[in-house]
Amino acid sequence: MDKLHLDQHISRQYNSDLEDLRTELLEMGGIVQEQVRDGISSISNADSDLARKVITVEDEVDAREMALDEHCTLVLARRQPAASDLRMVLAVSKITRDLERMGDEAEKVAQMALALVEEGQRSQGYVELRHIAHGVLHMVDEMLNAFARFDVDAALAVVREDNDVDREYKSAMRELMTCMMEDPHSINRILNVMWALRSLERIGDHARNIAEHIIYLVKGLDVRHTSVSEMERQVSSRSK
Amino acid sequence: MSKSTSSTIELVNKNLKKRYRAEKRFRAYGILSIGFGLLCLVVLFTDIIGKGHGAFTAHYVQIEVTLNASTLDIRDATDPEQLALADYQGVVKEALRTRFPEVTGRSDRRSLYALVSNSAGFAVQDILKADPTKLGSTVSLWVLVDDDVDTYAKSRDDAEPFIGRLSEKQIEWVETLIASGEIKSRFNRILFTNGDSREPEMAGIRGALLGSLYTLLVTLVLSFPIGVAAAMYLEEYAPKNRFTDFIEVNINNLAAVPSIIFGLLGLAIFINFFEMPRSLPLVGGLVLTLMTLPTIIISSRAAIKSVPPSIRQAAYGLGASKMQVILHHVLPLAMPGMLTGAIIGMAQALGETAPLLMIGMVAFIVDLPGSITDPATVLPVQIYLWSDSPERAFTERTSGAIMVLLGFLILMNTVAVLLRRKLERRW
Amino acid sequence: MTTTSGIQDVPVNGTVGEPFVDSAKLSMRNVNVFYGEKQAIFDVSLDIGSNEVIAMIGPSGCGKSTFLRCLNRMNDTIEGCRVVGSLNLEGEDIYGAKLDVVPLRARVGIVFQKPNPFPKSIYENVAYGAKIHGLVSKRTELDEIVETSLQKAGLWNEVKDRLDAPGTGLSGGQQQRLCIARTIAVSPEVILMDEPCSALDPIATAKIEELIAELSENYTIAIVTHSMQQAARVSNRTAYFHLGKLIEVNETEKVFTNPDHQLTEAYITGRFG
Repeated sequence: MDKLHLDQHISRQYNSDLEDLRTELLEMGGIVQEQVRDGISSISNADSDLARKVITVEDEVDAREMALDEHCTLVLARRQPAASDLRMVLAVSKITRDLERMGDEAEKVAQMALALVEEGQRSQGYVELRHIAHGVLHMVDEMLNAFARFDVDAALAVVREDNDVDREYKSAMRELMTCMMEDPHSINRILNVMWALRSLERIGDHARNIAEHIIYLVKGLDVRHTSVSEMERQVSSRSK
Repeated sequence: MSKSTSSTIELVNKNLKKRYRAEKRFRAYGILSIGFGLLCLVVLFTDIIGKGHGAFTAHYVQIEVTLNASTLDIRDATDPEQLALADYQGVVKEALRTRFPEVTGRSDRRSLYALVSNSAGFAVQDILKADPTKLGSTVSLWVLVDDDVDTYAKSRDDAEPFIGRLSEKQIEWVETLIASGEIKSRFNRILFTNGDSREPEMAGIRGALLGSLYTLLVTLVLSFPIGVAAAMYLEEYAPKNRFTDFIEVNINNLAAVPSIIFGLLGLAIFINFFEMPRSLPLVGGLVLTLMTLPTIIISSRAAIKSVPPSIRQAAYGLGASKMQVILHHVLPLAMPGMLTGAIIGMAQALGETAPLLMIGMVAFIVDLPGSITDPATVLPVQIYLWSDSPERAFTERTSGAIMVLLGFLILMNTVAVLLRRKLERRW
Repeated sequence: MTTTSGIQDVPVNGTVGEPFVDSAKLSMRNVNVFYGEKQAIFDVSLDIGSNEVIAMIGPSGCGKSTFLRCLNRMNDTIEGCRVVGSLNLEGEDIYGAKLDVVPLRARVGIVFQKPNPFPKSIYENVAYGAKIHGLVSKRTELDEIVETSLQKAGLWNEVKDRLDAPGTGLSGGQQQRLCIARTIAVSPEVILMDEPCSALDPIATAKIEELIAELSENYTIAIVTHSMQQAARVSNRTAYFHLGKLIEVNETEKVFTNPDHQLTEAYITGRFG
């Protein structure tokens, strides 16, 4: 039963406050998701216009983060939320932070795209990049869905997927290291690709953090810094 | 929206005048009622004071009495028996003859003697008793005039002076004496020092006052502790069941029973069954106790009920026992209310006549009662007795006694208010 | 979508959380309370540990006050109130025939919702309990008790110069602290507080809450409160009552971040009240 009954307070104003928090966060999530997607396509399609757009969108993400923070502060001050409401506000506040970081990372990817376009196109490292990008995009999608539906299972799936992404990131690193050793001229360019990969991996980490916040929000469990199997055990033992 | 608002305001304004008028009328009714009450009170007081103020003064006549041993028939002034039996009235008559030597006829002389109250002889006796060496000397003293003369003297400035049984000659003499300053109006001490008397000028309310005092004392001593104890038990200890409900209803009923019924009850129980003598303040007090008990119980219960439950809870919460809660907290807090109830009950008892008539406190008693077992009458009964007497002088004494009674009632109610103020504590 | 009444209709089967502790000062098992025909408390079992502050919360009429008042038999004064079940104070049966209610109330003191000092002087208020229980024989000892009690209640500095002034002349918060001083003057083991701050302003409330924190070092405190924030601030454990049933008992921290029972959650988040 993952319903949080956000709309059942005696105070209807309170209901709409919390509902606003949720929709605002989802909107911000949508923007960041778009940013990540655009960042990835800008690098894989060497589209410098799109990359510049990603960079300009960053300002809006920052503004949204501040607005959401203020909104959370207001709810805390006005309503002194408890239990699920308290977790909701805390989770939103933390998720906002992670989303903003994701936006930052997407911006970095876009910067790398611009650098790569200037240097001219060569396909080295792009296979790995596309692969990881696909995984990360899926994680971000799933994470937003999990939040929208307060879905713990979806959140757990995101956490699991992050492990896959991490693994792939490591192997991509090794792959690109080899490339650099083979062709020292491409070091500069490959380094840029590596930076982009690193940012994508960070985006995945943030998505995982958000998934953990969602588990905290729904189940009241603090599952940070625990293994996936332990997390699954705790979640299933607490079936409310 | 704004249109409907404005029309609402118009409607309100339209009705406003009507509402204010109704309000004024409403207030006027209240003022009218109070005015009516005040008017009645003023009429009553003017009437009583107008009639009664005369009772507090009396006219005295100055006579030169020669304490002539032979007239007095005293040979040895140190012999108390001779002093007691001496003919004091004789020397007074002699003094009157001396004052009006022109009066010679037998019947004229008798009407001359009638100017002076019978008490004049006692005044002479008092002088001689105090100082037997005065025998043979001439003393000048003020003695009471007869009640008819007194009434005439008080009313002679009126359009139609009261003449009563006075003859023209007597009036002439009185006028002579007044003109020469030998008849003067003084404060009527007799009223407060004497008991009842057949002679109005010698009748006082002291006996009745003392009787009232003793009766009330008995009533207070009995009814207050019994009433408070009963109220306390009913409020604090009695279980709530049909029996206590029954008792409660009956106490309330008793408070509404006409007082004469209590008199009959007292007559049946105290006098017929216990064979107590009649006319005693003790019996009167017992009867009035029966009568005031319901009042005191009801007011005491109300006082106990009004003690805030939070105080009880606080005391219980600290571990006080029931008795401690009652003695330390409930009774002290309820005391002002209980006292007020008791004093109102006492005031009611003070003004009560009906039950006392039944137990014989209506007798004509001249002697001042010295204790609760001496026959006595009470103030309201005295008023009732005097109001029945034909002499004009008793009428003003009746009003005078009513004024004294009212004075005491006001005093008692004032004391009640002051006591409550003093004892009342904030919580 | 479930409706609001849907939350309230959730079936209740016993108490969730941890109602029992190892070193219980007060231990209640299967307590039922009736007011005449009406049952006010249904089968409540709860332990109150030594030196803990337990908060009892719940909507109006949920029986939390009734339950609290069973603990020192204040319900005895209410006509038709019947308590069934076992209530023990350190192994002694509170409702047992052997236990006298007078010493019980000396051991389990109570502070009420409305400050209710006696209409006597401040000194007399504090000294009263000690006097009726005969705790002291000399005036100096009594003086000492009054002073220490007032100090513990944090009132000494405010009233030491006017101990003869009427207790009712103090401000509301001071009166409530006077009542607490009066209660601790008898050296109770347990202090029951029945909504002690509901008649006070926020500053006086803060002072009382501070006082509760200090008192919890030496006393076991059970507090009924309508303010959930207050329960969250002052207590170690929180018990949630609903319609005469004990729904949940847990560490306060847990109750206010992640309660076990849906009803508790609904109540503390303001879904119904």
